Amino acid sequence: MATHTQHPARRKFLKKAAAGTVAATTASVFPNIVLSANKTLTVGMNIPMTGDYAPWGLPGLYGCEIIANNINKEGGVTIGGETYDIKVASYDHGYDTEKALQGFKKLVLEDDASMIMMLGGSTVAAVLPWATRKKVLTTTLLPSDITPDSNYLVATCESHPLYNVTGVEWLARNFPDVKSAAIVTNNDAEYGLQSAATYQAAFEVAGIDVIDTHLHGFDVTDFAPIVSSVLAKNPDVFCMATSFYVTPIMEQLYHQGYKGKIISCTLDYYDEIIAKTSKEFVNGTIFQFPDFDDPKLQEAGVNFPDPAGFDAAFRKDHPNDWSAVAWEYPAILLNWLDAAKAAGSADSESVAATLKANKQEFVFGGGDWWGSQLWGLDNALVGRWPIVVIEDGKARIQEYGDVAGWLSNNKDVLVKHMKDLGLRTV
Amino acid sequence: MPGTVIRKTVAIGILFIALAILPHFLKYHHQDFLIFLVINVLVVVSYRLVTLTGEWSLIHAVMMGVGAYGSALLSKQAGLSFWISFPLAGGIAAIVAALLCFPLFRMTQFYFLIGSFAAGEAIRLSWIHFIKPFGGTSGISAIPSPELLDIDFLEPIPYFYLVLIIVTICLFLLFRIEKSRIGLTLHAVHWKASLAESIGVNTWNYRSLAFITGSFFVGLAGALKVHYIGTVTPKQFDIGFMVFILIWVIVGGYRTFYGAILGAVVLSVLDEMFREFNELRPAIYGAILIFSILYLPAGLESLPQRLKRVFGRKDRQMERT
Amino acid sequence: MELFLQSIVNGTIQSGFFALAAVGLVLIFGVMGVVNFAHGELVMVGAYTVWFLHAQHNTPFLITIVIAISLVTVIGMLMEKFLFRPMRDDPLGGLICSIGVLFILQVAATLVGGDGPSKQVPPPFEGTMVLFDFLRIPYQRLFSIAVSIAALGLLWHFLTHTKLGWALRAVSQDREAASLQGINSNRISMIAIAVGAAMAGLAGALMAPLTNINPHMGHNVIITAFIVTIVGGVGSLSGAVIASVLYALYHTFVTTYFNGTVATISGLLIMVLVLIIRPTGIMGHRVSE
Repeated sequence: MATHTQHPARRKFLKKAAAGTVAATTASVFPNIVLSANKTLTVGMNIPMTGDYAPWGLPGLYGCEIIANNINKEGGVTIGGETYDIKVASYDHGYDTEKALQGFKKLVLEDDASMIMMLGGSTVAAVLPWATRKKVLTTTLLPSDITPDSNYLVATCESHPLYNVTGVEWLARNFPDVKSAAIVTNNDAEYGLQSAATYQAAFEVAGIDVIDTHLHGFDVTDFAPIVSSVLAKNPDVFCMATSFYVTPIMEQLYHQGYKGKIISCTLDYYDEIIAKTSKEFVNGTIFQFPDFDDPKLQEAGVNFPDPAGFDAAFRKDHPNDWSAVAWEYPAILLNWLDAAKAAGSADSESVAATLKANKQEFVFGGGDWWGSQLWGLDNALVGRWPIVVIEDGKARIQEYGDVAGWLSNNKDVLVKHMKDLGLRTV
Repeated sequence: MPGTVIRKTVAIGILFIALAILPHFLKYHHQDFLIFLVINVLVVVSYRLVTLTGEWSLIHAVMMGVGAYGSALLSKQAGLSFWISFPLAGGIAAIVAALLCFPLFRMTQFYFLIGSFAAGEAIRLSWIHFIKPFGGTSGISAIPSPELLDIDFLEPIPYFYLVLIIVTICLFLLFRIEKSRIGLTLHAVHWKASLAESIGVNTWNYRSLAFITGSFFVGLAGALKVHYIGTVTPKQFDIGFMVFILIWVIVGGYRTFYGAILGAVVLSVLDEMFREFNELRPAIYGAILIFSILYLPAGLESLPQRLKRVFGRKDRQMERT
Repeated sequence: MELFLQSIVNGTIQSGFFALAAVGLVLIFGVMGVVNFAHGELVMVGAYTVWFLHAQHNTPFLITIVIAISLVTVIGMLMEKFLFRPMRDDPLGGLICSIGVLFILQVAATLVGGDGPSKQVPPPFEGTMVLFDFLRIPYQRLFSIAVSIAALGLLWHFLTHTKLGWALRAVSQDREAASLQGINSNRISMIAIAVGAAMAGLAGALMAPLTNINPHMGHNVIITAFIVTIVGGVGSLSGAVIASVLYALYHTFVTTYFNGTVATISGLLIMVLVLIIRPTGIMGHRVSE
């Protein structure tokens, strides 16, 4: 475990304070600005950087800064004959709808951002009418934000929670004696319930009975009762559709002597989980988010430049901040840059048209537009997605699953479970 | 006497005109900020009406949410236009408030504070728990904006004028209520509860009346807010927002009508100015809070008078020397 | 049946934390008449101390508990000296001051630990005790409940068997009468907040290895503490302890057999019901206003 590393945000503040500048700018300051004659191309990040949701915003900003810095060092990016340096402008909305709307307008109208990356959920819903009207290309990590007329909202990287189906499919194939599953998730509609519905559908398709779906709020301080209640039903698989409380739930599973399989959407900071339980206990846990130094990511077919180098650069600058979003926003940025190059312009309308018209290479390979069956518009890019398992205390990709293939065969099952949980479908 | 009335009218008129042209001089995202600020002014002034009787409730933010959810559901599920769902939002908040009067006003003081908090939190958790029809944590989105002629209320400036006009009317009504016989009785209930009862005033009735009226207006404010953002979520009306309402009113000064407004405006503007400090922002807020309650117990509104007194004394001293 | 017994164990362990947090709140309100909104943040500071010293800097766990208690006690005493004492005649002012402290402590925690993910403390006591082949109690939790009971016992002894404790109870029953008896109420207030804050610091330190630690964790603590305080009777310490046990068992059973959100909503409604039927709570007396 890393010791007393000064927090980056704090460092940034101290640096600013030392320089005596309280200049009004929320644009992030690069550690080493490359002087060049290039024009500037601004991309915006309207994300939570403080509060409960900060872990799903801040690491993404750090990742994008690394990518932008690398590109600028190599002379910038050429779009339509003009070479640009990339600047990442950010606004912290703290997962507040009011601030999200203000930040979005600031980034578009005042900072001149060509594209805005967002986390998703109610903050995207708040900016969507305006963004659609003004034709601002916006990205989200939650395809469930897509509506029938959200032409400028795309989910080009994380298709939460559709990829969960691959983990279940792999589990059923490798452990055929697994017959029953119990799902625990937080009860928010954006993350937890979407994920729960997807797992329910995936288990049904795999022939595994879901014997319990336990929803909990954000006010839980002790998971002992919840875990006791679920384990009393003796599931063969314990499934965490949530990403907010994985560590305390894993700890309870460990103490309450659970011996079955564990599958989870995320397993962020799994080294801390191992520290609280044991390596033997965590080994074999199935989830969906790889470390970027994974050997299987360095193979051909993965559309991310030098994943291992990115992983090292990130952990050097921000040793305690790696989370799933650390590479997702960068992947979105890279995908957008490719589309802008192909379109010969960074203008939202041309990039959006190019994105939808051309075959897209998904970050893990593959790439089909999907979504009209659930949300009314094919604006979610789905491709291959890795199945990750903890082996000897380390996350290792087992294989890549086919999300699009599963969806084309089983979308009715998914729609049924989404409807049952009261989620919006067309 | 007519002189001061004319002077006051002129002053308010000038203020109104200044506000009306203000958004044209602001940055784009500050136009949105201004809209939310004007709505929050209605929130604090309506809250002050509730506190006139001396009871500090912690449910005002949730009552705002009741109006917001009401209007959102009426316009999305029942397809009503904003012009109908908006006044109904106030009505719904008032009805819920009326129902809550029975349990809540059996309590006073600290018990009322905590009781109102519990009732509010129970309502808010219900929005999260009952996904049909409230939509859970992600709430209700794609709430239509008002329709009138060809005006585009998705743009900040037209919506600002709409908000400015509605809030001005509401403030005028609230001001008249406070200065009326009812308002004077509310004051009496606060300061001389037993005396008021001895001359036949039913304090329960007046407390309820203040609570229901305040809830009506804050319900309107809630509807105004979500028809602009287009999304309503339980998080918008949590105890965090309630704490801000409380702070605005107390730091501004709850003894006068304009004190609360002053608190909301000054603190919100300061907060926006301190955006640069990111995660340090709440601490600055906390320090301002503690400082003002210790040194300006009567609120910001007492600042001019205190300054006058301080400088007045200096002037006199100078004269003497 | 197994689940039933395990739930009793789960609920009992939880009641320890509830009681430690609530007792401090009750003591401060009873003696000083201030609703300390920052009480949850005092618990949070206790937990952060353990994270910072034990998890990050390898200080022995038992020593960090003592440091956590001392640090939180000092914060509480500073609050009394500089905020609550000048605001003695204005309970609302005291409440607002405590909200200011709440913000400052949350930011302090962010500065120490950053805005990243929730902090985790590896449990100093590893392993799980298994009774009758099915009841499972992690040693860490066993330690927590034992320390909680000991601390509450010590507090009870202090209140009932010492002169200071007697004075403290006298002030909480009637401040004016107590001062007529020659009791220095400022001194008693200082002791009340010191004891209350120490309990909060201890609760935080004990919770640290068992929960997600973040700057906002105090929010859930204060809601629970309010419910327990009201149900137990404002100003009644024994009421708070009994209510903690009852509420923890109630919450655990509803969570186990139904759902956690239902448990919290119904808990809040029960609290409102108690306020209507018996505003003084199950053990309380009316505090003079």
